[in-house]
Amino acid sequence: MFINQQIEIETLPKLSSVELKPISKHYFKIIILNKLIVYIVFLGLLIAGKFKIQKEAFQDNFVYIIGIVIIGCLLNFVITFLAFKKRKYAIRDKDVIYSKGLIVNSMTTVPISRIQHIEESRSWLARQLNLATLKIFTAGESGSDLKIDGLPLEEARQINDFLSAQVNGNN
Amino acid sequence: METTDFSQPIRQSSKGIIIIFAFNAYKFFKRFFVLFIAFGVSLARKKTFASLTPQTIILIIVGILIVLLVVAFLKYLNFKFYLSKDDFHLSTGILNKDNTIIPKSKIQNVYIKQNFLQQIINVVSLNIETAGDNKSEISIKALDKPTALQLKKELFNKSSLTEDQIEIAEETNTIFFKVSLKRLFLEGVSQNHLRSFVVIASFVFGLYYEFKDYFIDLKLKQRIEEMIHLDEESILNIIILNSVFILFTILVSLLFSVLKTVITNFNLEVVENQKTIEINKGLFNKVSLSLTPSRIQNIVIKTNRVKRYFGLHTLSVKQAMVNVKQRKNFEIIALEKDQLKHLVDKLLTNYNSNIEQSIPKPYYKRILALQMLALTSIINIPGFFIFGNRMWYINIALLLFSVLYILVTYKKAYYKIDTEFITIGSGFVDTTTNILEIHKIQAVKLKQSIFQKRRQISSVIISTASKSVKIPYVSDTEAKSICDYLLYKVESQDRDWM
Repeated sequence: MFINQQIEIETLPKLSSVELKPISKHYFKIIILNKLIVYIVFLGLLIAGKFKIQKEAFQDNFVYIIGIVIIGCLLNFVITFLAFKKRKYAIRDKDVIYSKGLIVNSMTTVPISRIQHIEESRSWLARQLNLATLKIFTAGESGSDLKIDGLPLEEARQINDFLSAQVNGNN
Repeated sequence: METTDFSQPIRQSSKGIIIIFAFNAYKFFKRFFVLFIAFGVSLARKKTFASLTPQTIILIIVGILIVLLVVAFLKYLNFKFYLSKDDFHLSTGILNKDNTIIPKSKIQNVYIKQNFLQQIINVVSLNIETAGDNKSEISIKALDKPTALQLKKELFNKSSLTEDQIEIAEETNTIFFKVSLKRLFLEGVSQNHLRSFVVIASFVFGLYYEFKDYFIDLKLKQRIEEMIHLDEESILNIIILNSVFILFTILVSLLFSVLKTVITNFNLEVVENQKTIEINKGLFNKVSLSLTPSRIQNIVIKTNRVKRYFGLHTLSVKQAMVNVKQRKNFEIIALEKDQLKHLVDKLLTNYNSNIEQSIPKPYYKRILALQMLALTSIINIPGFFIFGNRMWYINIALLLFSVLYILVTYKKAYYKIDTEFITIGSGFVDTTTNILEIHKIQAVKLKQSIFQKRRQISSVIISTASKSVKIPYVSDTEAKSICDYLLYKVESQDRDWM
């Protein structure tokens, strides 16, 4: 029999009531390391510039330039730290949720029935810290794929198993 | 109509040798184009190239052509295909033998194409597309048309239907829409000429870049400078020269638009089958494609003020798993309003456009204003260097344009959601309507910047397998309830997206 019940929007499961879980704190170490490399390269280039570039305008204002760069780095670092706290995820019965971003916050939800395949990848650093990255691919444009960085390995495995079982069960 | 037996391995039409040869020769010459130019230049200068006389060079070219011909012949001999009950088999390769088997159920698309050469010798090419990346495409380069049509039908014919059932299906095919040359012309005229102008400009610049050295040789610059020097006698001359130049570019863009529209859409024909819709079009490159409603992900309807006056609507269909080159062909132009409605009804069952529409928050205007501000400041930086103080007048014009842009864009933005479909309207010059079926959603994204957080405004981005659309700047609670509703819809129904 065909049933077409009216849906009460109020009673639907709400995204906003889902408790999102932060990713592993250890992942911040990886971010710091990557950032530090960038900062060091920047500063290194500047300092090399001090010895190579003979222009007066550059030499006179060197202190200011390096000051601006250092402040920029610090600001970037603070924003990165605050943004890191926004990286959260949740798995529901029927979908996967991942939210990120401080200045532009986005929360992507992928229904499990739309997942094409799942990939678990671990960089060298992540292996040392016992972390893993979970990539969830849909058939959509690249924008609808999910990439959850910095999951504890155990948890990544569990999620992977759960999602794989669900995806295969659906087919 | 004679029928071909596909159960035995067969080759394509013997004319295929010519086609393969032409394709290979074209590819070869395209690849070594630069080398040929070098040939030509040094021949013209020194009468020799790398201590080769023109005779030897001609001999070499003839030799290459003979090799290509032999290769084409061998390729033709080794290209065999046949159909078994459920699969399509293809064996190719001269030295490396390839055997491809495609289960009929995995075939996504079969389309028939005919380029200029193929039109002359009266054969068509048949392409078989499967899901997966672009390379998994099979192309049979030369078949005569009845054979191709028959093969296409049998490829789609999964269960073994009896002969008369097929006959019945054939009778219901009706040509639903055929475009007239006049309407094509109108469509070309009313197009967005800015776009064709950009295409032409980039083409000219590209050519100029390639042949820069020759232009320098020709001392073109000096000649132009001399010309300008003469004209500098009066400002009036410059103004006339400029306006003539602008008029000329507009004319060229117009001509380009019209020609492009007419050539790619010549004899556009929409055939209604029982389940699918077929599009045939093209002057030099004839294509024939079929649309299956279940595979459609998004539908985009476009028109603009001028076009609406002439009753011209464009319907483009985004399908999943279609290779990039083919994508732009799924476009039906110059449709009348009722024809459009009929097609939409056919492709989307139960689509109802008469529901209440909601509009974004006025905050959207602010975003648009910011965009225009950014654009204006980018234009202003080089603008002041070029035009000096005259830039102020240009800025006044820009300001008026910005106000118009903001008001019109905001007015045209709306969204509608019912139990089956999402409709999103947008556009500035064009009026664009985006329709998608809720059960084809792949992911839902809630987006909010730190500035929007204070005002409690969010956007929702909805992705299907072929496109992402955005419901811009609605209130936080509204955005969340849209997400909840869509997710509920997708997850509670066990409907496939393809």
